[in-house]
Amino acid sequence: MSPRREAVFLPLALLTVALFGGLEPGRAAPFTAPPLFALVLAVMLFAALVRSGALAPERLVHDSRTSLANANGAVVMLALFGASTQVVNLLTPRSGLPLVAVNAFLFVLLLNTLVAAPDRVRLLRSLMVICGSAFVLKFVILAGLSDPEGGRTKRVLVALFDAATLGTIAQDPLTDIAGYLAFFTIVLYLVAVAALPRATYALAVTPRLNAQLTQSLPPEGGSHR
Amino acid sequence: MSPESVVPSSESDELDPNSCDPRPAARTPSSVVKGRVREQVVRGAGLVVALVYAAMIVWAYARQPRTIAQVTGGLSATIGAYRVEPRSYADGLQFFRRDQFVEARAAFARADPAERDAQTQFYIAYSYYREGWGRLYSTDALFAKGLESANKAIALAPGGRLVVDDPDLQMHSADELKAELQRGLERDLSDLNPMRLFRTRK
Repeated sequence: MSPRREAVFLPLALLTVALFGGLEPGRAAPFTAPPLFALVLAVMLFAALVRSGALAPERLVHDSRTSLANANGAVVMLALFGASTQVVNLLTPRSGLPLVAVNAFLFVLLLNTLVAAPDRVRLLRSLMVICGSAFVLKFVILAGLSDPEGGRTKRVLVALFDAATLGTIAQDPLTDIAGYLAFFTIVLYLVAVAALPRATYALAVTPRLNAQLTQSLPPEGGSHR
Repeated sequence: MSPESVVPSSESDELDPNSCDPRPAARTPSSVVKGRVREQVVRGAGLVVALVYAAMIVWAYARQPRTIAQVTGGLSATIGAYRVEPRSYADGLQFFRRDQFVEARAAFARADPAERDAQTQFYIAYSYYREGWGRLYSTDALFAKGLESANKAIALAPGGRLVVDDPDLQMHSADELKAELQRGLERDLSDLNPMRLFRTRK
């Protein structure tokens, strides 16, 4: 990984995600700190990234690196944790049944990902699907159901839906720019995660595999006959 | 080979998994030194920029700025470079003394777009008080906004103490103004006292 990517691109991209992940334009207090459960989910996401090899912490912080390089690596890891927390915060609805359902959905999905231990490419694909589906749920479906604008018919339907669900589904209305901002933030997060230093398993594992293979093969070459 | 041994000893020696050419590039000693210096500069600059950016993010979450003006004003106030625009401030004072409170607040908002000046916030709070004051009852919405501005003024004043030497005012400190606004928002039996009709606006 080039120093520019490690020292400039990754910290700035991940910190930008951490900044915009909690931003809700139009509110009296526009920057929302993450709830505790977002921290739990972020720890699970971080662990999944490490287990899958999408992130190799030893390539960011290691005895063999200089202090400055280690400081850069530490900043990347802290920024990644902050960004992961805020992405979870961004994708979670703010109240009611959707909040509980999405939290449970993300918890089970991440737990499943941890247990399944996918490789880097599969984890990135899975992360893209999780982020995309949670984005559509919050910023398209729930936002549409909670939108106070629109014609009389739509408002009547929304009011009926709200009454039928005892107000457990409807969310506070979002501003128009919130969805675009969330989309940009999620894309930036996925790009940054894809750009993290990956584990070089091939280099580490191949000599061991070679050694094991040599031991398991019959002496002086073997044949199937 | 242990797993640790595959960790590159330095960035310049790192293996590029995307590279098709396994041979290291031929470099002269001076270009190697230049490359290392450049790498240290990039790393140092990146670290400083990332730390400053992180500090800005923490500041934004702590201060909750709502507009770009509040962001820039807040950051310039942090380094002591924020100034109130004097002409708009003078306009605001003139409007305030003529009891044109809406106009006064517009001028004060222009003078202090980042809401970082305690005295300007004090006058904004006072304008809400005077506009919302009534002999029979006060307007709660205006008093609530006034209380918000008074709290802001107290938070911005050094040590929380703000005294304004203006002979046109009857309340000179932000604490008095805040208490008066709070009293106006309370509901109790004294609201039914007929002597309230004889009280005066401060």
